[in-house]
Amino acid sequence: MNFTLTKEQLLIQKMARDFAQQVIKPAVEQIEKENAVPAEILQGLAELDLFGLAMPEQYGGANAGYESYVLAMEQIARVCTGPAMIISAHSLGLGAISNFGNDEQKDRYMPKSCKGEHIASFAFTEPGTGSDPKQLTTTAVKDGDYYIINGTKRFISNASYPGPLVLFAIESESGKPTGFIVDKLCDGYSVSKPWDKLGWHGGDLVDIYLKDVKVPATNVLGQLGDGYPILQYGIAYGKIGMNSVALGTTLAAYEEAVHYAKEKTHRGQPIAKFQAIQLKIAEIAMLYESSRWMAYRLGFLANKPKSYRDFAKEAALSKVVIGRNAMEAARHAMDIHGSYGLMNDYEIARIYRDAAMGPQVEGVLDMQKIIVAGDILFG
Amino acid sequence: MNIVVAMKQIPDLQQIRIRNRQPVLDDVPLTFGNIDKNALEAAVQLKEAAGGQVIVVCAGTQELEDTVKEALAAGADEARLVVCDPALESSQSARLIAAAVQQIGAVDLILFGEGSGDNYSSQVSSRVAQILGLPQVGYANNIQVEGSSLRVTRSLEDCEEILEVPLPAVVSVTADINEARIPSVTQILKAGRKPKETWDIGQLGIALPAPGVETISNLAPETERKQVMVKTVADLVKALETEGFGGRG
Amino acid sequence: MAGILIFSEKTKLALELASAASELSAVNPGEIHALCINDPQEAEELSARGLAVYSLESPGLSTADTAGTAAALLALANKLGVDTILLSSDRRGKELAGRVAEAWEAGCLTDVKGFSVQDGQVVFVRNALGGATVATQIIKTDRKLIAFTPRAFAPLEGGGGSILPFELEITAPSVKVLEVRSKAGDVVDIQGAERLVIVGQGVENQADLSFVEQLAKALGAEIACSKPVASDKKWLSEERIVGLSGKICKPEAAIILGVSGQVQFTVGIREAQVIFSINNDENAYMNKISDYILVADLKDALPELAKALA
Repeated sequence: MNFTLTKEQLLIQKMARDFAQQVIKPAVEQIEKENAVPAEILQGLAELDLFGLAMPEQYGGANAGYESYVLAMEQIARVCTGPAMIISAHSLGLGAISNFGNDEQKDRYMPKSCKGEHIASFAFTEPGTGSDPKQLTTTAVKDGDYYIINGTKRFISNASYPGPLVLFAIESESGKPTGFIVDKLCDGYSVSKPWDKLGWHGGDLVDIYLKDVKVPATNVLGQLGDGYPILQYGIAYGKIGMNSVALGTTLAAYEEAVHYAKEKTHRGQPIAKFQAIQLKIAEIAMLYESSRWMAYRLGFLANKPKSYRDFAKEAALSKVVIGRNAMEAARHAMDIHGSYGLMNDYEIARIYRDAAMGPQVEGVLDMQKIIVAGDILFG
Repeated sequence: MNIVVAMKQIPDLQQIRIRNRQPVLDDVPLTFGNIDKNALEAAVQLKEAAGGQVIVVCAGTQELEDTVKEALAAGADEARLVVCDPALESSQSARLIAAAVQQIGAVDLILFGEGSGDNYSSQVSSRVAQILGLPQVGYANNIQVEGSSLRVTRSLEDCEEILEVPLPAVVSVTADINEARIPSVTQILKAGRKPKETWDIGQLGIALPAPGVETISNLAPETERKQVMVKTVADLVKALETEGFGGRG
Repeated sequence: MAGILIFSEKTKLALELASAASELSAVNPGEIHALCINDPQEAEELSARGLAVYSLESPGLSTADTAGTAAALLALANKLGVDTILLSSDRRGKELAGRVAEAWEAGCLTDVKGFSVQDGQVVFVRNALGGATVATQIIKTDRKLIAFTPRAFAPLEGGGGSILPFELEITAPSVKVLEVRSKAGDVVDIQGAERLVIVGQGVENQADLSFVEQLAKALGAEIACSKPVASDKKWLSEERIVGLSGKICKPEAAIILGVSGQVQFTVGIREAQVIFSINNDENAYMNKISDYILVADLKDALPELAKALA
């Protein structure tokens, strides 16, 4: 067992921290207000290879491993969750293509996506369905060498950027959920205006409307009529990014709490002198440390999972702990700030809103617990 | 154009703690001085403009192979490492770097930061220029290649000198010459695979001179300040007046 | 024969070196000489203060050419048989120091703040580890080169010196001066100011600089700042930075506004005679090296202080 980061990992961590501090931080207020990440920031992240960090070199990725991905994403999210969410959702869609796509599909879609010229998406959820594939209503009807796709997808990230969309629909011949790669912004593709959400500003969620979207039959991802493993992959691998974002939020809460406790004075002394505050600082530190090693470990496991089922359990388990920890750490940090924490002038207000997102998105916490229990009791 | 950048392995100054006036250096990670990173960036920019190779030369502990990855990620093409006692005096560092440059052979420009992050004696670049018999410019905040010479701006306290310097030459840079780039993931991962050669002092074919300077003590300064807490601005004004610094209005 | 040769192209700094030399010669008796290069006016002024000046006039030599200046210094040092050369630790002097020391095989210290005599040995004092520590060091070689920080010594007062011409054959300098530009804009000398008001990152609004100006005016002080205020925020010029990457200042009084006290900063002000600090962090390291500390929000304290002193 070796808990030491390699020099390369330390440098990747530092790279992300420096970029976040120097380039993203000055734009945080703007991102919060406009709910959009400036193009220069995305380009900067692309130049650092963050869009293909864990992808294979053969297809333009940096092949740095998922644990390095977690280290970098944590530092980005520490400063701003929006750009981190864009990369998280992108890596999920791109990872599915990398994992299930054939060579031709990978050649076609991966290099541009790894360079950040394209940004990928992953679309399962629909207005009438959460995480249950049996409830899918989007259809893909075979028409010669093409499929005609109709339906609506809800809460989709990166849907307004050009790039591949990994989409699930009921395929007409098998009658079963199947994965497709759709070029976003094609004919018949439109999106709603972004949902006005509590946190993660800049990381847009929109609804996608597909009206007679024509997709070549060669764009079926994986096996025809067998979209379930892709979905399972997505559910599990998506957690790596989600964990990183929640971890970065926890780190931000931690640093803000310490900073404020030392700075804010009460009756002539900094509030850090009071034990009630000290206890909260200790709580936050413990939450951060436990999240951190779980998040890094999930990244490590993701590089070579023994089985997807096994990995899915680890992913679900860590998501619950890390999501909850972020929420709890933000709560303590908010308490340390007292009523000032409610004011949007204070960073903790944004951190608190961001922390609330994790437990609700990409499978609520109870859903994760059911996955964990299912594996333990009946796996 | 072949450029050597001399970089010094130093403890991360932000992480040094003082205990009983003694600096605690155990477990402090090793890195390069910030101005050395500016020197490297200047070299990489010159290479991008004029072609050639950027070779990092540094001396230090066994950990050098790891430390130097930072420089190789930030754009250096190759590294020459001299593993030795890291506590070298300026005259010794200079002898060692000069020997490494001679070993490398065809070098057009040798770049330094204006001073090392830890000791800041600023002697080494000038000493190397003297040993190699090269022209030098210190405190450069701008370097342009013009044919077989450089146009360098030397930033002094009260003026700037625009100078023409024939190559080969030794130049030391100030921190404001550029903003060092952030290396990408790919560059970081490639760093470890770039050519490196590790030498010991014997392989350089030199004997280090005896140090001309000896350090007797190195302690955090004692503070003998009054540390009087005043409660209000009015009290502060009173303190200013008591000490003889009232308004001169 | 022992003796000391001093050189700085700045008359004031040369006079400071002359003071240092006369203190040193109390330990190590010998004559003190000064070199002036292409500057008859400096030669006049130095001799008027009592120095034995060698004036080198050679249009082919430029002090911008470090190798040439070093060669001139070496030639004179060898001719006089001195064992010590003193330079000023400004940028020009520091660049020269390494080159002369290497050629002269002299042990060399730069950025020296002062010295004392312990058991008959001269012990020099300078900052180390980025200012975190103060090192005391000795030079073990027979020949010694010391570069003293500007203002470490008061300029020499005296009279009745001499000027002798110094002839030297010069090889053409390899470094050619194309142009000399005086630094545009701010020409403030924060090192020369008796009082400094220093702006740190705790001053959050640029508009509050007007209170800083009022305050400085009322106290007859210059305005200085920590590095981020100039380099990142660009509120003040880089000429006003106090600290390792700026200037080392020793004012009579420093009023420090919102500086936490990282060592890179404090190294530039810790030799002030009296330090007053306003800071919202009671635990700030700055407070430990201050004489008077007010823990307060600068947004309120700054206007109040400016008003009280006006």
